[in-house]
Amino acid sequence: MALIELEKICKTYRSGNLHVPALVDLDLQVDTGEFTALAGPSGSGKTTALNLIGCIDQPTSGRLRIDGRNVADQTVPQLSDFRLYQIGFIFQSYNLIPVLTAEENAEFVLMLQGMRPEERQQRVRPLLERLGLGGLENRRPSDLSGGQQQRVAVARAMAARPKVILADEPTANLDSSTARELLELMRELNRDEGMTFLFSSHDPLVLEHAGRVVRLQDGHLVGDERKDG
Amino acid sequence: MDLLRLAWRNLWRNRRRTLLTVGAIGFSLLLIQTFHNLAIGSYRQMVNSGVRSGSGHIGIYAGDYALSREETLSYLPGELPRTITGLADVQQVVPRLYLPGLAQSSRESRGILLTGINPELERQINPFLKRIPDDRMIRGLDSRDALIGDRLMDELKLKPGQKLVITVQHRDGELAAELFRIRGVVRTGVKEVDHSLVMVGLNRAGRLAGIPGQVHELAVILHDSAVDRPPLKEVQALLPTRNDVRALSWEEAMPNLADAIKLDYASQKFIFAVILLIVSIGLINTLLMSVMERIREFGILIALGTRPARLRALIAVEALLLGAVGMTVGCALGSGATWLLIEYGLDLRWFITQELEFGGVVFDPILRARWDWPWMAGMGLLLMGICLLASLYPARKAARIEPARAMRHH
Ligand SMILES: Nc1ncnc2c1ncn2[C@@H]1O[C@H](COP(=O)(O)OP(=O)(O)OP(=O)(O)O)[C@@H](O)[C@H]1O
Ligand SMILES: [Mg+2]
Repeated sequence: MALIELEKICKTYRSGNLHVPALVDLDLQVDTGEFTALAGPSGSGKTTALNLIGCIDQPTSGRLRIDGRNVADQTVPQLSDFRLYQIGFIFQSYNLIPVLTAEENAEFVLMLQGMRPEERQQRVRPLLERLGLGGLENRRPSDLSGGQQQRVAVARAMAARPKVILADEPTANLDSSTARELLELMRELNRDEGMTFLFSSHDPLVLEHAGRVVRLQDGHLVGDERKDG
Repeated sequence: MDLLRLAWRNLWRNRRRTLLTVGAIGFSLLLIQTFHNLAIGSYRQMVNSGVRSGSGHIGIYAGDYALSREETLSYLPGELPRTITGLADVQQVVPRLYLPGLAQSSRESRGILLTGINPELERQINPFLKRIPDDRMIRGLDSRDALIGDRLMDELKLKPGQKLVITVQHRDGELAAELFRIRGVVRTGVKEVDHSLVMVGLNRAGRLAGIPGQVHELAVILHDSAVDRPPLKEVQALLPTRNDVRALSWEEAMPNLADAIKLDYASQKFIFAVILLIVSIGLINTLLMSVMERIREFGILIALGTRPARLRALIAVEALLLGAVGMTVGCALGSGATWLLIEYGLDLRWFITQELEFGGVVFDPILRARWDWPWMAGMGLLLMGICLLASLYPARKAARIEPARAMRHH
């Protein structure tokens, strides 16, 4: 059984009388341990797909199952907890809570889970070290570079050991070398820890790192290629 | 704990706005606490001087004398002054006889209220007699000395040491007149009183009216410690059951003063309510702004798995912290101002030159506040409560943020 299963998923936005089909009959399966990119031009539906998979938006029709569970059956608090324990998010930018330090941000999900402070620190410190953030633990986001901020967001997503990490254009606001570094880091974590990653990008450089590239165009799935390795 | 820390830091994100709001809360608390303390302090002063020259904290009358002022409702106090003075809370029991009459000098005549007093006791408690020098006081219960209101003396064109004839109605219906000599002059500041006041020894007044030994009023003066809890029941228990003698609280005996105080405090309360309303509106605005500018951030919090209830709690805690800081500042300011108004008082003579009369009572022009800690604490907590209430709508707004939409917010 696939970790993520989309079955004839449609998402139509309504703004006034206008109906904007953002996803049309999307079928997609993602297995545990994959490092998959959603590719496609602007407006193709990448963000929409990730939001649905991340359970922060509901499809207009179709069936979405994650880890065998039908998302539509869950109540709001259940979905909150589902995201808290099963899903990690990395957004394009301004991911972090400005009043918390790098370490506190990285610990945030664990804090929500109710983990004790010492335990949180034990979990997060090595992760920050590994992500090259050693010595920056007490800095606020405003005192970190864009790349450092994104790495803190990766640490936050990783710390809770979710089933899957969703990243919507995680490198869009980074220069190409920083973007490459972040991607390589994510790939490493994917290999070493077996963490499933699903991220979107329209940057060919980024797509090179993906193990699988799913292509969207105008809400339709137009390609699905797997690389070996 | 983590929620508290996050809320505290969020509070100081917009330092200026938070400080302004804290200032508004603190200032309103300062106003409310200080004005309340000043009001109750000055009411206490008014009651004190009103009570001492009037009914006493508890007044003892025959029938409805307190209201009707019907002259025939006099009574023999018997052992009452002694037994009532025996109560622990009682400082003094002062007898008085009130006789409407006429005062004549060689040139003028005026209607007066002849008051028979016990000069020794009266002087200990009546603020207006305290000012009179020793050698100007009435000498004994039977003397022909009289104290006279300053305006009345002027109208009669008399001077201290000169004589006047006082006529009252004898209980048998005849007129009875007697010659008195002006010994001292009284000035209460209440025009009507100073126009009509003549005080003489109690025994002489009683004999003149044919009711020797009788009184219209026993004014029971309490020790300061008992003023808030007058022992009305204990006094009542001492009264003889046979005749129609009853004990009234000062509020019943002097309804004018009691009503004036109630009315004054009612208008204060209205102003307090307006102040609180304005603060509430400002608070809702501040809290709503602070939520609206964090929509994206809250979207992220929800996406990460924060339950909406927890987000509401975060906003509520932020509001409560804001209220707590404001309350601390406000209580500090309010206490400081109250302290100043207790130590130094507020001298109304800076503003008004006439004598100050309130509900038929003249009071000390230097108003002094009084501590009312429970009330001050209550107002502080009320403001915290208002903060919490003001946070409900913004908190609901935050909890309803849809993360997918919020994330498109930049
Ligand atoms: N809230 C919305 N209301 C109306 N239309 C929307 C809304 N959100 C997205 N859309 C539309 O849905 C379509 C898909 O948008 P989506 O954001 O998923 O694309 P994307 O692939 O992420 O694009 P980009 O690369 O620019 O981020 C677009 O046509 C977009 O205009
Ligand atoms: Mg997008």
